Amino acid sequence: MLKNILGEKKMKKIIFVTLLIVVLLAGSAAMAADKINVQFWHAMGGWRIELLQEMANDFMALNPDIEIEVQYTGSYGDTINKLNVAVQSNIAPHVVQGYDIATQMLIDGEVGVVMQDLIDADPTFDIGAFMPQVLDYYRVNGKLYCMPFNSSNAIMFYNKTLFEKAGLDPNKPPKTYEELLEIAEKLTTKDDKGNVAQAAVCWSLNCWFFEQFMAAQNAPLVDNDNGRTGRPTKAIFNSDAGLKVFTFWNDLTKNGYMVNTKLEDWTGARNLFISQKVAMLITSTSDVALMVKSAQENNFELGSAFIPAPADAEAGGVVIGGGSLWLIDGHPKNETDAAWKFVKYMAESPQQIKWHTGTGYFPVTKNAIEDLLAQGYYSESPHNLTAILQLLLSTQNYNTNGAIIGAFAEMRSIVASNVEKMLSGSLTPAEALAAAEKAATEAIRNYEGL
Amino acid sequence: MRKWTPYLLLIPTFIIIVLFIYVPAEYSIMASMQRILPFGRGTSYIGLTNFLKLFSNAEYLYSVRFTILYVTVTVGIAIIFSFLIALLLVKKIPGVKLFRTLIFVPYAISPAIAGALWTFLLNPIVGHVSYFFQVLFGVQVEWLTSKPYAFYAVVFASVWKTLPFNMIFYIASIQDVPEEIIESATIEGASPLNRTWKIIFPMVSPITFYLVIMNIVTMMFSSFAIIDVMTKGGPGQYTTNMIYRLYLDAFYFQKPGIASAQSVILIAIMIVVTSIYFKFGERRVHYQ
Repeated sequence: MLKNILGEKKMKKIIFVTLLIVVLLAGSAAMAADKINVQFWHAMGGWRIELLQEMANDFMALNPDIEIEVQYTGSYGDTINKLNVAVQSNIAPHVVQGYDIATQMLIDGEVGVVMQDLIDADPTFDIGAFMPQVLDYYRVNGKLYCMPFNSSNAIMFYNKTLFEKAGLDPNKPPKTYEELLEIAEKLTTKDDKGNVAQAAVCWSLNCWFFEQFMAAQNAPLVDNDNGRTGRPTKAIFNSDAGLKVFTFWNDLTKNGYMVNTKLEDWTGARNLFISQKVAMLITSTSDVALMVKSAQENNFELGSAFIPAPADAEAGGVVIGGGSLWLIDGHPKNETDAAWKFVKYMAESPQQIKWHTGTGYFPVTKNAIEDLLAQGYYSESPHNLTAILQLLLSTQNYNTNGAIIGAFAEMRSIVASNVEKMLSGSLTPAEALAAAEKAATEAIRNYEGL
Repeated sequence: MRKWTPYLLLIPTFIIIVLFIYVPAEYSIMASMQRILPFGRGTSYIGLTNFLKLFSNAEYLYSVRFTILYVTVTVGIAIIFSFLIALLLVKKIPGVKLFRTLIFVPYAISPAIAGALWTFLLNPIVGHVSYFFQVLFGVQVEWLTSKPYAFYAVVFASVWKTLPFNMIFYIASIQDVPEEIIESATIEGASPLNRTWKIIFPMVSPITFYLVIMNIVTMMFSSFAIIDVMTKGGPGQYTTNMIYRLYLDAFYFQKPGIASAQSVILIAIMIVVTSIYFKFGERRVHYQ
């Protein structure tokens, strides 16, 4: 028995030594090449994994001394979770893509190198080249903590072919809730048993749309100017504007004009529109490329429009969503420098154009938009024009710059679940809105330690 | 020297258990009594505040109630159905091996895939199940987004997923029931119903007991993937059970303290369930 174990031990020893040699060799090979290794974690699934890898490869071709290790780390939420663990075990990557609603939490966690400090110290970097809308969104306390990278907002797509079939003008998409409700009846078809065969509109069940609809009415979500002039202490979306959104959502659903998906089921909503089961879809502008392709494949004519608002609402705009790049602190200076170089590269116009045309996230720099315009891109891709114009025509103030909330993820979940309770009929719109605001305030107070 | 050998052989298992079970459990217990800032930037000891918060939190209490309902219903249905199907699958009919194989398939599928599959089948507009419901009963059911259908859908998928596991055990144990007992019962004039419920079912009761315990554990913990993929705890947290609530607090809302308190509660429940099993299960296993 003992002999056997010894034999096993010997085997293990041999394996261990072999491994050690391999590791050492690999290590020395890397040393010989003298490359600085930069790890980059991102949350862009599907075909975008390859696109980002390609962009990193281009960067490495220009900077042979830097090795970018691109890793897809799951959804935005998963990526933040992994970062959370990595930071606490001191194995954090250099660059991480964080999503919009994690901004405050990442700032509070003090995990990042403040991007503004690097920008200020680097004369080659021109912050003026960035779109002001993007900067307004990402600046907190007047500082950029992260590098804007993939930005998007909400857009409405509609099926012109179905509009024509319903006897509607395909060049007149609804602009207001009232107009949308009016045409919704014509776009909804039911079978003889009263079941919906085709619905008018759909968007995935998601608090993000509530946020966008609020901004479109120039209404805030939380106090202290949406958390932009001081830390938020309570939610204030139980307002006239909030009630209008909830009522609109409820009315559409109760009349069978709208199909609701399960929580955050973007794909489900897209598929309903692509399969022509709904005539209008409100989704993210990052879907533009996908929608254009899908409309062609399914033989219908695609239209795009701004997201609707109530007729009597104040002029507002869309809030930027998407992600940005964070430089994580605690690495040797030469590595951080290399990471900064990479982040800078990713925000430059040519890369932004490549990213934009490959995905639909809009470019974050003015030059990129100018270049695209000169190339005739916007006349060939009118839906991208809709997306960018909607952003450019948005009123710029605290309400449209988006809220900064530490407990944002929790607030989103609270709003969405109260919307679900409303849609299932257990709460009226007013009750659901009040319950959501109360719970959101509690979440904010808990986060802030109030 | 010889008496040390067993301990030596236990070391690898022990190391793994300590590293992956005891250390994290201890960490959870510590964290359950702390308030932890984002990214572990700071911690402060707050005693039992997290537990008190949980027990005064209506949402958490709802998730406890829902878990009890969900576990009772799924385990009950899974046990009864698997026993009945196993009875059929021990019959010597042509093609029984094929049936067995086909019926075992769900067990080989990961819970997440199972969830995705049912999500698709139950889609109110393009799903196949919904289509049949429309054709047969003329109703359009929003399976995953309305009450109480979301509950039925989750229960259905969970049972579908666990049935094969139970059936494997039932088939084996039903085949172990001595032929002579059944034969003599038949000669004495026991009806098939009596033979099933008064002889076979009691004879396999140790397996039933084992399966009930195993199913409770599965439904409490592995139900996570099915719920996450199918309903995300919705509509309006209607299908949020304890493990999903824990996931939300730990990984979605980044509240490690509160989440650790929840995991400590789950550990306590598991200790109770397994000690019941060890106390009664071991005793009744040797029934012959």
